[in-house]
This record gives sequence, structure tokens and C-alpha cells, in this order.
Amino acid sequence: MPLLFAKPGEAVSIKKISGKEEICRHLENLGFVVGSMVTVVSSIGGNLIVNVKESRVAISREMAQKIMV
Amino acid sequence: MAIKIALAGNPNCGKTTLFNALTGSNQFVGNWPGVTVEKKEGKLKGHKDVVIMDLPGIYSLSPYTLEEVVARNYLIGERPDAILNIVDGTNLERNLYLSTQLLELGIPVVMAVNMMDIVEKNGDKIDIKTLGKKLGCEVVQISALKGTGVMDAAEKAVKAAAAKKFAPVHSFHADVETALSQIEAMLGSEIPEEQKRFYAIKLFERDDKIGSQMKTVPNVESIITEAETSMDDDSESIITNERYNYISSIIGSCYTKKNKGGMTISDKIDRIVTNRILALPIFAVIMFIVYYVSVTTVGGIATDWANDGVFGDGWHLFGIGSAAAEDADGEYSDAMNAVMAFVEASGDDALIEAMDDESEEYDPEAAQAALDAFAATVSEDATADYTLEDEETLATEDVTYTGADFADGVAVVEEYGLEAPDPADYGVWIPGIPALLENVLGGTPDWLHGLIMDGIVAGVGAVLGFVPQILILFIFLAFLEGCGYMARIAFIMDRIFRKFGLSGKSFIPMLIGSGCGIPGIMASRTIESDRDRKLTIMTTTFIPCGAKLPFIAMVAGAIFNGAAWVAPSTYFMGIAAIICSGIILKKTKLFVGDPAPFVMELPAYHLPTVGSVLRSMWERGWSFIKKAGTIILLSTIVIWFMTYFGWVDGSFVMLAEDQIEYSILGRFGNLISWLFAPQGWGNWQAAVASITGLVAKENIVGTLGILYSTGDASVYQNISAAFPSMIAGYSFLAFNLLCAPCFAAMGAIKREMNSAKWFWTAVGYQCGFAYLVSMCIYQLGTAITGGGFGIFTIISVLVVIGFIYLLFRPYKESTTLKANVKVAK
Repeated sequence: MPLLFAKPGEAVSIKKISGKEEICRHLENLGFVVGSMVTVVSSIGGNLIVNVKESRVAISREMAQKIMV
Repeated sequence: MAIKIALAGNPNCGKTTLFNALTGSNQFVGNWPGVTVEKKEGKLKGHKDVVIMDLPGIYSLSPYTLEEVVARNYLIGERPDAILNIVDGTNLERNLYLSTQLLELGIPVVMAVNMMDIVEKNGDKIDIKTLGKKLGCEVVQISALKGTGVMDAAEKAVKAAAAKKFAPVHSFHADVETALSQIEAMLGSEIPEEQKRFYAIKLFERDDKIGSQMKTVPNVESIITEAETSMDDDSESIITNERYNYISSIIGSCYTKKNKGGMTISDKIDRIVTNRILALPIFAVIMFIVYYVSVTTVGGIATDWANDGVFGDGWHLFGIGSAAAEDADGEYSDAMNAVMAFVEASGDDALIEAMDDESEEYDPEAAQAALDAFAATVSEDATADYTLEDEETLATEDVTYTGADFADGVAVVEEYGLEAPDPADYGVWIPGIPALLENVLGGTPDWLHGLIMDGIVAGVGAVLGFVPQILILFIFLAFLEGCGYMARIAFIMDRIFRKFGLSGKSFIPMLIGSGCGIPGIMASRTIESDRDRKLTIMTTTFIPCGAKLPFIAMVAGAIFNGAAWVAPSTYFMGIAAIICSGIILKKTKLFVGDPAPFVMELPAYHLPTVGSVLRSMWERGWSFIKKAGTIILLSTIVIWFMTYFGWVDGSFVMLAEDQIEYSILGRFGNLISWLFAPQGWGNWQAAVASITGLVAKENIVGTLGILYSTGDASVYQNISAAFPSMIAGYSFLAFNLLCAPCFAAMGAIKREMNSAKWFWTAVGYQCGFAYLVSMCIYQLGTAITGGGFGIFTIISVLVVIGFIYLLFRPYKESTTLKANVKVAK
């Protein structure tokens, strides 16, 4: 399922990241790689704050739809 | 030869704090050539021959963001003697990702693990020695905030630079290594041995910018494809995954975490602050506090003090005696109004002249004698009408005084000896700069006196007067940035602002711009995206600032009979202008192709140190002060010269205040006034007022006051007569609120844009937008109210149609993260 629907506070593992190449790269550089664990901290209207590799990253709804967990 | 050490690390890892700790006040701040990414350089404390270079915070050496391109070009092109890689110990895994790339560059690396105090407080452990051994580079632990270990780290970097000791590189999966060594073998001798691995990896990743750094690019496509098939992934992802695998393999043996998966304090704060229900109310409260303190209360007091005190008559030290002086002044002027009502109603010219306290021949004793004689003739039940004029907005109010008011007034006025109370007699009075200069300039010629007092002091003073307010505001901004809330603001507001092409952080410049446009424009610095920042700078001054308020009040009073809707409507007009401009501009070529998607790291919350907040405030404040001393000084002198010099009866002379009609500016106003005929106010007075508004917007009121104080009618009546209709008045208001801001704000735009082309684009857009909007207001407003139809009405209709087209034309939001910049080598 997309990260968008993950329950806040629950650690999930990334299965796949789709979308434009540049954005995938940027996400990878920030620690969003297949197999790493992420936790949704909070969400406003689909925009998410995600805990990944011990840092907090804010991503937009569109982006959260493309990260499969 | 000086040793160059580059400071590299992720954003928010404490790099700037470390830089400040290492260099102290010995810094040079500028911009990287061609881009608005800040470039900081400084000399290492105690080492005159060691230069520390602060690179922008980056996550990787891939060429996707502006900062990455800048840092990468510097590291490859300039090749510093050593890299001091600062790593956030609380976020080791992600930070080491950049480190693995820095280690490949073939430049000696020293790693400084920061925030060790927090790591220890959390009960986690990092084995520095093992980490150093595994990575093959020197690793030291520091706390940039407390300053522990920082000099040790820098000295180790200096030593590493001298030793030219290159780190043995880490190894990836066997298949990848085979491919890399094949590529390395194909690289010519032009690439030094120690850099071959870096070039090989970049070629393997199909990095499209690396080719420009090499003379010949070998064809390695078949090698890449082979590796991609065997590992079932694209080459770039392979490398990324290999890096993370490598990091996991070394981190296990040197990093132990106490409580895995637990929520940190920052997570807990984020759950409340970015909560879907509470986020906006919390944001509103914080913004209200910032605005309230920096614009209305403390900032307002500070600005008044600077404008009316330091650059005005003077001020009371610590406010001692200012209340008493104000009471006395109020009492005296109230009484004087009652007295003057009867004096002027008497029609006795000799008496009126004797009572004129602004005349040069005014003699209080003669006035008292004349007043006493006159007072005897006024009976208790006589009445007199009088028109009061507000000093700031020139608004008028009609009042009727009775004989009793007059008698009381005479008593009060005579108590003060018929002279307005001097504030210097109350409390501890410190004269302002103009008052002090007045004493020095006693015997100088008129033109020099005018140049210094009306030109330089008044002009630059008007700008410098905002310094205290700006500094207060910058303290808040530095604090919000330092503690980590600024990043959350962007997150909370982003969905709303993204719709019209702006960033979530654009809200702050606009809010502050309602106080003063200069700090507003400067606050745009906190926006990382170049495109969002430029768009914000271009639109921020559409919001009416504090200096525009007297002008709005004047137009409302003179032309709209004080209608209450005028002032609020200007704010709505400003907001509408921002939204429309955002939507129109984001679809233009100028703004296409820059970063769009929203991904940003939110730093952990922490209290910033007092030193870092003050330093940030000072850096921004100082650049503003410097501007006031150069470009703004020059502009005010030019405008002053044009206002006070001109031709009277064929000779070029200096003019008195009421001769502005003959000035260069007046003639110029006559020349260009036809330009504003479609706007409904094609008279030279309005044109001249608009030009003087460029020095400071409140000058429009002063200029109109001088130009329209002719004949018996009041300034307001004259203005009202000069404008054909209320619609023309609103068009005049709209033009002056939307067009280019004052010189000080334009200076800020120039500085923040950091490019002449962008500066003129911004100012040109603002003026063009203002011109068209005010024309449409007048032409269409007049046509709708049945006031005639002409060629400009048709043009206006076309403009509106074009405008609607630009607003709604189809557009595909850019989703690429490409940063197309050329950085000079």
C-alpha cells in the first residue's frame, strides 16, 4: 500500500519507490531506500512528516502516494 | 600558499555553528558566482594561512539541487586541501551517506562527529575509534554548540592536508567493483590516480554533468548494462543501495542505540505542533506574537524613537519626562485651537499676524498684549467655528468653540507664555541628529544646509529609522529558524501557497511586509527554492506597508469622505495582486523548470544559542545598513536636487518649498503626466507625488500637502477637486500601492535578487502591473458608472481578457528537480 495510508506511529518497511527519476534519487539521498524502515509522525491533508533513518522528513501527498510500503 | 579546508555536511548538522566557532568574526560572506546560494569564507582562528570554506548543506553529491551543484563544483573544480566532514551523531546512518561520497573524492577527509553530548544524553554510544578504523579516516568527536573539540578537529584537518594522506576506499558488491575497475582502466592519464574512483562511480551512475569536467569521455555503456542486468536494478540505485549496505555493515560494530524505535522529544513536539487540528491555531498564535512585538509594540516604539528621536527633533532618555511633555503639548495645542478659532473669526489682520507663531517676526510679548486686548471684547456666549487639521494625514475636522472655551484657552496659553512648550524642558532631553546638525550648520549657505538636512539626513534617516525594527524582527526570525519551527511553517502552509506558485515560507515575508517591506523582502532568505524566493520577493511589497497607511488615510479622507471600506480594501487588493501574480508568473518561462515537489528535512527542535541568534540578526541587519549608506543615499540626493532646484524667470535657482512647480521634478512631472491620463489623474502634481513616493511612501502625503495647499480651500478640498471622480482617486491609490516600492525596499530587492536582470524584472513587473490595474480600475469603473467610453476603455477590456487568459491558461506543474546553473570555475 502507499505510504499515504500507513498508520501514524507504526514502523513500516519501504518496498518500492516509483515516479520521476530525479525525485526518486532525491528521496534515496534522504534515506528512502528499499528495505529501510519508516514511521509516519503526523499528517495534514495528506502531507506527511515521516521518520526515516532517525531524521524527520516532510513529504507532500503526491510523493507519499508513490512510496509503497 | 594558504591551506584551504572545506566544511561539508548535511543541512542542520551544526555546520554553521562549527564554522562560526572556528573562524570567529573573521568571515567573508558573499554569494557563489551566478547563484543566490550564500558563500562563506573565513580564516581559522590562530592560523592566518588556513582558510575555511563553508559549503552549502547537502545530502549527496548528485547534481539535483542548486546547493549540491555548487558544493560539487567546488570540490571537483577547486579541490580544497582537506575536507572537514561534519556529521550529526544523532543521525549517523543518513549523514554517513554523504561521507562515503566525500571519501571517494581523493581529498584528505577528517570527520567531526557533532552533537555527541545529545547522543550521550540519549544513552546511545558511538565508538569513535572503530568508526575511524572502518572508514579509514581520522574521526574526532565535537560539540559545535559548546565549542568542545572544534579546534582539535580543525588542527587534525590541517595536518591531514599537509600529509596528503588519502583514505583507503570502501568496497561495494563484487559485481559493482568489477564494473568500476573496468571503467577506471579506461580513464586516461588526465585524471589523477586518487580521483579515478570518483570519476568511475559518476560515469557508472550515468551522471550527465561529469562529462563536462573531463576532456574525453570513455564509452562505458556496455559495462553499466552488464552490471544492471546482473544486479537487476538501474546503476544509480545500485550505487545508492551499496552505500547504505556499506554503512549498515560498519555501523553495527560501532554504534549502539539504547531504546530502539522510541519516539524522540522532537517527534512528540511534532505530533502537537503539526497536528491536523492544532497546527494552524498554533501557527496563528506564534505569527501574531511575532507581528505584534516586532511591528506594533516594541518594533513600533523603536521605529518611532529612531524616526522622530534620533532622526527627528530629539528624544527623552529612557522616556523620562516624555509623558509630561506630551501632556503639556496636548494641553497647549488644544487651548491654542480655541484661541485661534476666535482670533481668525475676528477678521482683524493685525491681530492674526501678531498671533502667527510660525512667522519669523513672532514676538510672544506683543502677541500677549494683542490677545489681552482682544480677549476683553469676546463675550461668554459667543461661538466660533474652526477647522482642525491632523498633522500626519492632513485630515480635517470642524469644531465649534464657545466664549468659555476661549477664555479657558487664553488662560492656558498665557500660562505657557504664548510659546509652544519645548520638550527639552521636560525630563532628560537628548537632541536628534538634525537638531545637532542645525547648530553646526548655522552659517553655511542655504543649498548646503538644504542638501544635508532635507536631502541626506531626511532621506537616509527615513531608511535608517527602520533599523531597530528590522533588528527586532531578525531576532525572531533567527530564533524561529534556529529552533526548527521555520521548517514546520513551510510544511503547514505549503498546501495553500503551493496553489499559486509560492512556498509555505512565503507567508512570513508577506506578514512582515505589512509592517515594512524591507525586512519582509529580507525575510525571504529563509526560502530555499530559488524560484519560490524570487517570486516571493517580487510580490511581497503588494501588501500595504506601514508607510503607505498615511497615504491611504489621505486618499480615503480627501476623495472618499473618509469611507471606512477604503483601508481594508487596499489589503484585499494586495492579497489579490499576490495571488494573481503568483498564478500568472509561475506559468511564465521565467519560473518554469525549477524545483517543485515538496520534500524537506525537519531538523530536531533545540534551543538556539544567544550568540547564534545575535550573529544571524547582525549579518542581515548590517547588509541593510550598508545599502542605506550607498544606493539609497545617492537616490535621495538626486530626488532632493530635482525637488529644490529649477528655473524661475529664466534663471536656475534654488527654490522655496512652495515653488515646487518650477523645479526640475515639477517640469518632469509635467512632461510625463500624460502617461497617467488613462488612469484618470494625468496632472503633474499627482505624477510628482508618485515620484517622491519612491524615496519613502509617506512622502506622497507631504508632497501633495505642499502642492495642494493653495488658495483658501483646505488641502483635502483641493485634492478632491483635482481628481475627476472617486474612481480616479482609487486608481491613483492602486497605482501607488502596487508600483515599485521605496528606494530602501528596492535596494533590498536588488540585494536579495543578487542580479541586475532580476532586479529590473521585479521592478518592471510591479510598475507594469500597477499601471495596467489602475488603468482598468479607472476606465472600466468610469464606463460602468456611465462616465463615457473611449479608446482606453477598449484597451482596458482587452487587458482584462488577456489577464483572465493568463490566469486560467492550461499549465503543467513542473515536477523535475533539475538545477540548471552554470557556476564559474
